[in-house]
Amino acid sequence: MRIFMAIILILFLPLYAFSEDEGKKLYDDWCAQCHGYKGDGKGYSTDFTFPKPRGFVKGIYKFHSTPSGSPPTDNDIIRSIRKGNPGSSMPPWKRFSDNEVKALVNYLKRFSPENFESPAEPIKIGKAPRVTDELIQKGKRLFEEAKCWECHGKSGRGDGEKGWQEKFKDEWGDRIYPANLTYPWELGNGSDMEDLYRRTITAGIEGTPMASYQDDLKDDERWALAHFIKSLQLKRKLGIALRMVKVDSAPSSTNDPIWGETDYLDLPIGGQILFNPRHFTPTITNVRVRGVYTDSEIAIMLEWVDKKPNKGDDGMPSDAAHMQFPSKIPEGAEKPYFYMGDRRRAVTLWQWKASEDSAREYIAKGPEVVTEQERQDVKATSTYTDGLYRVIFKRPLNTGDREDMGFEVGRFIPFSVTLYDGWNKEEGNKGVISAWYYLMLEPPMHIKVYLLPPIVSLAVYGLGLVLRRKLGKKYKIK
Amino acid sequence: MAIIYPIITLLGLMLSIISVIKRSPLFNFIGIQIALYGGLKGVGLIIPPLPGQVILMYMVMSVFAFLIYFSIDDKTFKRFLEPIRSVFVEDDKRIIRSLVFFFVPILAGFITYWEVKPRFEPPVSARIIHPEPSTEIEFRGKTIRILGLENPLRKDVTNLPQHIEEGKRIYYQNCLHCHGADLDGKGHFAQAFNPPPLPFRGTDTIALLPESFVFWRVAKGWRDIPEGSTPWDSSMPAFEDFLTEKEIWEVILFIYEATGNKPRTW
Repeated sequence: MRIFMAIILILFLPLYAFSEDEGKKLYDDWCAQCHGYKGDGKGYSTDFTFPKPRGFVKGIYKFHSTPSGSPPTDNDIIRSIRKGNPGSSMPPWKRFSDNEVKALVNYLKRFSPENFESPAEPIKIGKAPRVTDELIQKGKRLFEEAKCWECHGKSGRGDGEKGWQEKFKDEWGDRIYPANLTYPWELGNGSDMEDLYRRTITAGIEGTPMASYQDDLKDDERWALAHFIKSLQLKRKLGIALRMVKVDSAPSSTNDPIWGETDYLDLPIGGQILFNPRHFTPTITNVRVRGVYTDSEIAIMLEWVDKKPNKGDDGMPSDAAHMQFPSKIPEGAEKPYFYMGDRRRAVTLWQWKASEDSAREYIAKGPEVVTEQERQDVKATSTYTDGLYRVIFKRPLNTGDREDMGFEVGRFIPFSVTLYDGWNKEEGNKGVISAWYYLMLEPPMHIKVYLLPPIVSLAVYGLGLVLRRKLGKKYKIK
Repeated sequence: MAIIYPIITLLGLMLSIISVIKRSPLFNFIGIQIALYGGLKGVGLIIPPLPGQVILMYMVMSVFAFLIYFSIDDKTFKRFLEPIRSVFVEDDKRIIRSLVFFFVPILAGFITYWEVKPRFEPPVSARIIHPEPSTEIEFRGKTIRILGLENPLRKDVTNLPQHIEEGKRIYYQNCLHCHGADLDGKGHFAQAFNPPPLPFRGTDTIALLPESFVFWRVAKGWRDIPEGSTPWDSSMPAFEDFLTEKEIWEVILFIYEATGNKPRTW
C-alpha cells in the first residue's frame, strides 16, 4: 500500500509542482507589474493608478460572493481575473486558458494560505423579484433608512459627506471614495442585479467601509434596494457628433425642461498624459454634453459627477471646465492639436471656474501659450446638486470679434472638453481631457424636403397616364 | 444575416427558369438580375465582401447587357415588353394597373424624400497608420539617424533580462493607461482617445515594423507625424520629453518580448 501511495505521489508531484510553477510564472509575467512580485500590491504601476492595485498578503479580497469575513471562492477570484474590475486599471484577462487561470488562483492563495483554510460557500440567492415602481420606491426608502446616502450621497453619486472625510480609507490605508452608483461603467464589483444584490449589498466589499447588509436588511429588502440602485444607473450614449436643435430662447437655468428634450453625447475622458505634469490618477470618467441654439446665440450644457465640490477656498484648486474649439472652423480635415492647440493652429478655450462661477475666453497655441482674449463674449452659469455639476456656456453665434469663430448652422464644428477636480489637486495640465468631437447646429428642415416628394409622385403618375395612352393607341390596331 | 443572399440568388434563378418555361423574357430578365445581385452580395460569405460601388457597377453592366440581349430579336423584344404593355392597357389587368398606378408614384416620392432629406455625416478623415518616418531626428539635442538604426541593447546579451525588466517598469508607468496591462491597446484611458491606442499584441502592428520605426514613434509621438496621419488627433506623447534614449530602447525590448513579436529586420 505504502509503495502504491509513494508511486502515486511521485507520479503526481511533478504535475502539482508544474502547476505551482506555472502559476508563479504567469503571476510574475502578468500580475506582478501592478500587484508586486511579493503580492503586496506594490508593483511598478502602484503610484500611477487609482484605485491602487490590490495586495494579496493580507488575505483580504474586496470582491466575493461569500458571506462577509469569509474568503472568496475560487470562482470569485477567477471572475475578477476574467472580467476585470471596471473603474480601475484591472482589465478583463481573456487570453489565458482556464487551466492557466486556475494555476494563477492557486498561486494567489499562497500569499495568504491561512485565509483559505476554511473555504466558504457563495451566498445562496433566489430569483430576483420582478421590478415594479413600488419595489423601487421601497428600495429608495431603504436607501434613506439604511443611511446609504451618508457615503453614496442622496442621489447615489458617491458624494456623501462621509466619503470625503480624511479617514475614509480602505484596510490597506489607501484613500478611496464611495462608489458613484449612477455610472455603472465604474463599478468594480459589477453592475447587474446579481452583482448589486449578492456581491455588494449582501456580501459587502471586504476591507472597505462598504459593509455587509446581510443581517441588517431582510432578503426582500436587499432586492428592493438593488432594484433602486439599478434604476439609478445611467446609460452611456457614445458617438462622435452632437446634434443641436434650434429653439426659441436659450435656457438660462440648468433645470429648464428644454434640456430633457435635447440630444446628448457622453464623452469618456482620461487623464492628460501628454505634457508635464502628466496625470495618471483621475477621478472623473465621463462628461455629458448637450446644446441648443437660437437665432442669435448658442447654449451648451456640460454635466459631470464630482464627488466633492471645491471653490478654491479650502487650500485645493477650484473645480473647473474648459470647452475647446478651433479658433477657425477648419476647412479640410486638418484641426488644431486636440489638447490646447498647437503653434500653427490656435484653439479658443471657454473656461468656467467654480470659484468665480463665470466664464473667461482664452486663445491657446499649445499648453504653454495661453492668452486671455481682450473681448469676452462667453457667459456661464452653473449648479451643483448631489454631486452633479451642470454648467451652461452661452455665446452669441457671431461675436464680431476677429479672434472668435462663428457658429455656422449646418457645419460640423470640432470641440473637446477638459475638466478639473480640485479635490484631486487638478489644475493646469493636470486635468482630464477628451478627444475631438463634433457638434452641429442642425438646420431647420428645408421646405424642398416636404415639397419635392409629392411633386415627383405626381410626375410619375402623369408619366404613367401618358404611357397608357400611347401604348393603347399604338397597339390598338392589333 | 448574409446567409439571406444565397437564398435570394436561388429565388432569382427559380424565377428565371420558370420564366423560360413560360416564355416570358421580362421575368427571365428580372430573375437573372435578382440572382446576380444575390450572388454578388453572397460572395461576402466566402471572400471579403465586395464594395457597394463595385456591385453597382456590375449590376448596371448586367442590366445593359441583358437589355441588349433581349432586344436583338424583334419578336423576343415584343414578348419582353408584352407584360408591361398589357398592364397599361388590357382591361383584364385593371387591378394590377390600379396597384401599379398607386404604388409606383408613392415609391418614387419616398425615394425622392430619402434622397433630398438632409443627412448629417460628420467629416471622416482618412488616416495613414504607418507613416513614413523621418530619416533623421533631433533627440534632446542629439541627431539620431533613424534609417538603419538598431536597438543597441540587443547586443548587451548579458544584461538583456535586466533591460527587459526595466522596460517593463517603464511600460507600466507610462504606457499602461492607454496600451493596456496586456498590451492589447485596451488600457483604462483608451476609450477617451481617438484614434484608439494601438495594440502591440497580434501580428499586424509592431511585428511589421523595424525597431527604428518604433523608436521614432515613441520618441516623437504626435509631434513629428506627417499631416496624413492626423497628428492633431494623436494622443501618443512625445516621449523625448519624459524618457531617455536608453529607456525608450528598453521599453521597446519589453513590448516585443511581452507579446512574443519579433521586430522586422528587412
